[in-house]
Amino acid sequence: MRLLIVEDNVELAELLAKGLQSAGYETDVLSTVEEATSVLLTTFYAALILDLGLPDGDGLALLRELRHRNNPIPVLVLTARGGLHDRVHGLRSGADDYLVKPFALEELIARLEAQLRRPGHMLGSTLRIANLEFDTRNRQASIDDKPQLLSARETEVLELLMRSKGRVVSKKQAEDHIFGHSGEVASNAIEVYVHRLRKQLSERGAKVQVHTIRGVGYLIAEEN
Amino acid sequence: MLRFKSILSRIVVLHVVAVVITSVFMSLALSWLLNYATNNIHNEAMQEQAVSVGEHLTAQSDGHLELDLPQDLLGLYSQAYGRYSYAVIDDHGRVLFSSLRDSAALFPADARSSDVEFLQQRLGDATVSGASVRKTVGGQSVWIQAGEDLANRDVLIDDIVADFYRDVGWITLPILLVLLIADIAIFRRALRPLREASEIASDIGPTRTDVRLPTDEIPREVRPLVSAINLALDRLEQGFRIQRDFTADAAHELRTPLSILRTRLDLLEDKKMRQALQRDVEGMAHIISQLLDIAELDAFVVDPLEKADLRSVTAEVAEFVAPLALAQGKDVALLGTAEPVWVKGNPEMLGRAIRNLSENAINHTAPGTTVEFIVDQNGTVSVLDQGPGVAEEERNLIFQRFWRRDRRKAGSTGLGLSIVQRIAELHSAVVTVENRNPSGARFSLKFQPLTL
Repeated sequence: MRLLIVEDNVELAELLAKGLQSAGYETDVLSTVEEATSVLLTTFYAALILDLGLPDGDGLALLRELRHRNNPIPVLVLTARGGLHDRVHGLRSGADDYLVKPFALEELIARLEAQLRRPGHMLGSTLRIANLEFDTRNRQASIDDKPQLLSARETEVLELLMRSKGRVVSKKQAEDHIFGHSGEVASNAIEVYVHRLRKQLSERGAKVQVHTIRGVGYLIAEEN
Repeated sequence: MLRFKSILSRIVVLHVVAVVITSVFMSLALSWLLNYATNNIHNEAMQEQAVSVGEHLTAQSDGHLELDLPQDLLGLYSQAYGRYSYAVIDDHGRVLFSSLRDSAALFPADARSSDVEFLQQRLGDATVSGASVRKTVGGQSVWIQAGEDLANRDVLIDDIVADFYRDVGWITLPILLVLLIADIAIFRRALRPLREASEIASDIGPTRTDVRLPTDEIPREVRPLVSAINLALDRLEQGFRIQRDFTADAAHELRTPLSILRTRLDLLEDKKMRQALQRDVEGMAHIISQLLDIAELDAFVVDPLEKADLRSVTAEVAEFVAPLALAQGKDVALLGTAEPVWVKGNPEMLGRAIRNLSENAINHTAPGTTVEFIVDQNGTVSVLDQGPGVAEEERNLIFQRFWRRDRRKAGSTGLGLSIVQRIAELHSAVVTVENRNPSGARFSLKFQPLTL
């Protein structure tokens, strides 16, 4: 699986390439918007790691150009500016995710995989936390490699939580994901599914914990 | 010395003074002219009368003079009428003829006087004004004097003079006042582009440095000032841009080498060493991030029109810090209103203030306890921990830059609360701290609610 890194700092680009190679990816490195634009026209990459501050222009301009051409390549944006405003701006321009420098290599790889492990993206489609696995292709959860039978709603909640590993899924996000934007949702519906899922997972020996952050949302993590 | 703050008031006051002076002088001048004109008419009439009396003066063969006035002239000079009088005086000052009762001269005789003279003389209780005309009759010079009793002056002319002030003199004042009002209107109209430019200028602030004053409509006299202001604004805008660019550049220049360092460490084989160094880099990254925040805050200006939903900003912060809290075996909860709470301010900066309060709270709250966020409808957000609380004497110190209770404690920069304080100042918000019972601290930020 080949990734494109567009980063003008040669040293950082090489280190990232090295890190991603040791995680099993092949990488190409470019340092300008111009190069990236022409290469992306002819070459297929599984994902793009894009630095925003490039010598010949703004990475966001490249991103908009890509989306304008309906190129669905997952894009992970790197930036030196950590403002919320920048984040929103970046995501609106079509970035799939966003990391503020300095970031952990581990985090970069985890975010990349969250993007790549989507139906249609060919990376092994399995999400994993401790002894809990979720195959996004057939939507099958398994604990210690033993397939588990969960209800449709519980499965949806679990997939959402596992995709957002390490991050909070807000209650609103969960409702939108499970029920869509239409229709009335009972205020405690998500709460009920999360409660059931938590019970199922703990009864079946999963070494994970589904945290409820009161007033905020839910987060799945390895058991402490 | 009277000083005027406004050109308009200066013009009005000076114009009023000018109107008063002009109307006084104009009245005086006009009445003088009128008097002069009526005097001329009077003098000419008197001269004519003297001439016409002289025409009836004839020299007899014996050399003495005879005056034979026709009936109409006799009537004019009759005592009964009493208005006009005449006298004829010879070279030696003797009165030859006189219409006066005592056959006196109207005016003292003066042999050296010119051919025509206009004189005025008090006779008894009357004042006679008239002309003295020299004429040579039969070889001898005589002066024919004709006069009019001023008390009985021509009624028509008197009326004109008397009515002048009432009917004509006062007209100058309203005319001048109308002129003043017209001037004020003209001037106000001429100043309108300046007022419009002032309104545009009032929009200019650190958040709107791109506005420039229009010069098209500005009167030519003031245009150099307006152009100079625009040039000054260009320079100011550039100054602001340089300052903002510096913060952005500094962020980039510092964070990129940190990323290189961090990635290089992540690739280290030695796990123990790697983890220790990763913690060091994280600590350094945290300090740099906070210093950059402070640098940005020093150059930051809140747009007065900006608004933020305090509730959703707080929710985002809670989502952001929850994984950090959980990693330390601590919990986070968002309480209070579930409705949007609109306040004045920049959402990004509000978020940073709340994030710094919550990171502080997570650091201090006891393991196994919960950091609570409470958003109140009145624009207040509180962050509550279950840590040791803040001693009374430290409540001002904690907001100072680089102040730390325990300098040996890792992970604290002493910058977080000073960032909170600075953001509060920028937003005219109030930050307070109090202790909870039995233990813990409650930090509150009260922002300006948005009045809809």
